[in-house]
Amino acid sequence: MHSPELLKGTLQTIVLKVLKDHGKMYGYEITQRVKELSEGRILLTEGALYPTLHKLEAEGLLKTEVVNIGKRIRKYYTLTAEGRSIAKDRVYEFIDFIKTMSSVLQVNVG
Amino acid sequence: MGNLTDQHIDYIIKDLNYRGIIVEGFQDEVVDHICSAVEIEIGKGKRFIDAYHEVLKSFGSTSGLRKTQFQTLKSKNQNSRIMIRNYLTIAWRNLKRHAFYSFINIAGLAIGVAACIIIVLFVLEELNYDTFNTRAERIYRVHNEVKYGTNHFHMNGCSAPTAQMLAENFPEIESTVRFIQFGTYLVKPEDTVENIKEENVAWTDSTIFKIFSLNIIEGDDKTALTQPASVAISRRTAKKYFPFTSALGKSLILDNKYHFTVTAVYEDIPQASHFHFDILMSLVGDLPPAKLAQRTTLFDSYNFRTYLLLKPGAEAKALEAKLPGFIEKYRGKQSENGTFSMEKFRASGNKYEMSLMPLRDIHLHSDLDGEFESNGSITYVYLFSTIAAFILLIACINFMNLSTARSANRAKEVGVRKVMGSLRSHLMRQFLTESTLVTSVAFIFALGLAYLLLPFFNILSQKQLQLPFNDPAFYLALLGAGLLVGLLAGVYPSFYLSAFRPVNVLKGHLSVSIKSGFIRGALVVFQFVISIFLIVGAITVNRQLSYMQNKKLGYEKEQVIIVHDAYALRPNKVQTFKNEALRIDLIESSSISSYVPVQIQNAGRGDRTFWKTGNEPTTENLLNIQLWSVDHDYFNTFKMKFKMGRGFSEEFPSDGSAVVLNEAAVSQFGLSGDPIGQSISANSGAETKSWTIIGVVENFHFATMRENIAPLGIFLGNTDGFVSFRFRTDNPQEVIHAVEKVWKSLAPGQPFQYSFLDVDFGKMYWSEERLGKLFTVFATLAIAIACLGLFALTAFTAEQRSKEIGIRKVLGASVDSIVLLLSRDFGKLIIIAFIISGPLAWYAVNWWLKMYTYKAVIGVAVYFLAGALALIIALFTISFHSIKAASANPVTSLRNE
Repeated sequence: MHSPELLKGTLQTIVLKVLKDHGKMYGYEITQRVKELSEGRILLTEGALYPTLHKLEAEGLLKTEVVNIGKRIRKYYTLTAEGRSIAKDRVYEFIDFIKTMSSVLQVNVG
Repeated sequence: MGNLTDQHIDYIIKDLNYRGIIVEGFQDEVVDHICSAVEIEIGKGKRFIDAYHEVLKSFGSTSGLRKTQFQTLKSKNQNSRIMIRNYLTIAWRNLKRHAFYSFINIAGLAIGVAACIIIVLFVLEELNYDTFNTRAERIYRVHNEVKYGTNHFHMNGCSAPTAQMLAENFPEIESTVRFIQFGTYLVKPEDTVENIKEENVAWTDSTIFKIFSLNIIEGDDKTALTQPASVAISRRTAKKYFPFTSALGKSLILDNKYHFTVTAVYEDIPQASHFHFDILMSLVGDLPPAKLAQRTTLFDSYNFRTYLLLKPGAEAKALEAKLPGFIEKYRGKQSENGTFSMEKFRASGNKYEMSLMPLRDIHLHSDLDGEFESNGSITYVYLFSTIAAFILLIACINFMNLSTARSANRAKEVGVRKVMGSLRSHLMRQFLTESTLVTSVAFIFALGLAYLLLPFFNILSQKQLQLPFNDPAFYLALLGAGLLVGLLAGVYPSFYLSAFRPVNVLKGHLSVSIKSGFIRGALVVFQFVISIFLIVGAITVNRQLSYMQNKKLGYEKEQVIIVHDAYALRPNKVQTFKNEALRIDLIESSSISSYVPVQIQNAGRGDRTFWKTGNEPTTENLLNIQLWSVDHDYFNTFKMKFKMGRGFSEEFPSDGSAVVLNEAAVSQFGLSGDPIGQSISANSGAETKSWTIIGVVENFHFATMRENIAPLGIFLGNTDGFVSFRFRTDNPQEVIHAVEKVWKSLAPGQPFQYSFLDVDFGKMYWSEERLGKLFTVFATLAIAIACLGLFALTAFTAEQRSKEIGIRKVLGASVDSIVLLLSRDFGKLIIIAFIISGPLAWYAVNWWLKMYTYKAVIGVAVYFLAGALALIIALFTISFHSIKAASANPVTSLRNE
């Protein structure tokens, strides 16, 4: 498990990238997907996920779609056009960051 | 994976609701999330309830859920653009719904801000006098202060050689320039007949163009004024005399005797300058003023205004410190009998000092006799700045009071907003947006109002102020001020309103402070303290003004016409003019004199030092008195009264060496016994001459009442300064026509200049009149804005207490008693305001009246009058709503449907 401190700055990047790869997703699905991709080493807490989702939505990077499933209401998130381009930027930015970190810490990544 | 039943889902929804998860959008999402997670757990073989609790734990239970909800809300609301739009919508709706209060808020603020804009323009111009000179920081005027015996002079001029000697002695002086003025001149271009009277005329050195930033548009600044009989004129003067051609090289004739050649034309001097010369004549050559300027002795006359330009980096203070040595070196030497010594002079309590007045301080800090123009006053700059700030404050207070008073109505809104998840910071932002919106609207109105009112202010203040619409800094300043005032006015209400606890306000418990409104009361008191203060100020200034205008002067100022510049009748027609005019039967008497008993601009008076005949002249017994030359009819034309002795008479041929003193002169000469028959002496040229006192005239006011009546000696002499006529008719126009006809026949082509004595007298008090008017305007504004606030406040209280009033009426209260009830609270506040402002106003009034030797008595009555005025206006304001509320039918307020 990675420490939540490390995750903090990358949360938006993770959410954006996952949504970019999978299109429409709802909150729970995102947590599960991330868990799966990281082989259980990254657990998105709900306390962190929902504020992030709502913030991205308010900024216009995500749009939502509400579907009724029986008594429940499910809210799907998808990237907007702006969100898609930002998602790409964020990923490159992060790769760049890792490179920088590897030279700062004097280790080889990968 | 097990699917949840509807009951399970219902359970989860209710449970989450119970735990406080209520925010729309977030609630559904969490329910779905939890359901999905629970389904997975159930799929692993857990019971529903265990699975649910397991999942809840992963959310951090109730507190964790709530925290997430809170953070979600917060991150969502951080998009300020949307929220600001929302705030603006709400603010706009609020303004519209409460149009009455909005109007009062905006109107009050707009008036206050308009007054402020105008005053700030005024103050800025006053503070930036003479800054158009690029070397302003290095220019200084030399002042002299001399004190001996009972004489004390503070002069802004120097003797002729001082400038050159200073420059020779002190290398830090880069250049010097001198000015000398001899009143007005009659001017015409060569080959024309009509003279025009010019007031802004001075003789000066050619260095003026090196020191002051006068832009030469024609001619060369290196050669201008360097030749004898050369003159430099302003653009408007050039246009006046040579409208169609270049003025350069043309000739101007001054006073029918001096022929000058125009060697330069300069741009009109900006408004914000302490001089506005239109004609500058060279001090080179052999004309009398030029000869005076070239004298190398005579340190005793201080006729030349002398300006120094210091070298960059030179310290004025350091130079000033060296000046006593300079005086010692030259003044000592020049004294007539050579026995003069500076130490002896100072040791007997006398004073002789030179000081340097920075150019930029002249306009606001120098008010000496013989300034080029009447200067401003730093006191008034402070005074008006303070008034502007106060008026703005009064308007802001209105805003605060109305906002907090109406907070009761908005308490519910605040409660609901808070319950819906608004944070305190959101609410504060909302209220601040509202107040900024109101102030912005008010500022726009204020700008229009200021634009409309500026011409009136310009008339009052004798200025030519304009709103600087082309200056981006002006808009920036307005915007900045708008935001500042918005914050200032909005910060208290927003703190106050956003602090409500939703539980209390939604239950209907308003905190005690809303109802008691202590702070609101205090603010109302503050508004009225200022208003009453300003009213007292206005009454005082106007009282003093009318006191000065109506005081017994010692002569009769009505029905006298004065003809100016009688020297235009030279060489010998003055007496003819007088005699011819006396034949007009509307004219009672007439007198030719060098001076008249009012101060007329551009006419300084001469003085000379006398001593009692028989005494050895020493610094202790010398007395400087004014020296007036008059003819035989002076005293009866002005109707002056004699204390002792007689006036000049043709029956006594010896009156040529006689003098009439005023009472002040008699007492200051220390003449013992009967002054009639004693005599006084003075140096006349190289010899000493004596005059016999034949009469003592009662003290009469010939200067402003700021000053004591100065000692005065009136002599019989041939002069041609003024010809005064006392007439007997209610139609002065007839007299003017008749006298003008005589003038035209004797002095063709010379302008006929006349004035009425009482008008000239009134002009001496222009500054007081202006101050009085401005004070009246500002006091009216202050009280109007304060009353506007009071008006809205009473409307509000009456509305709040409508049920109480209804019940009282049902139980038998009369309309009167209810009006009294409603008025009493505000009445009390105004009485408190009166008690506070009384001493403040008393102090200020005494401070201001200190300027005057002759002052009106401002009794307690004035204060009570001001207080009563404020109270009556306030009660009148209150009565509108209180009577309306009191006479309303209780049914309407008590009906509960």
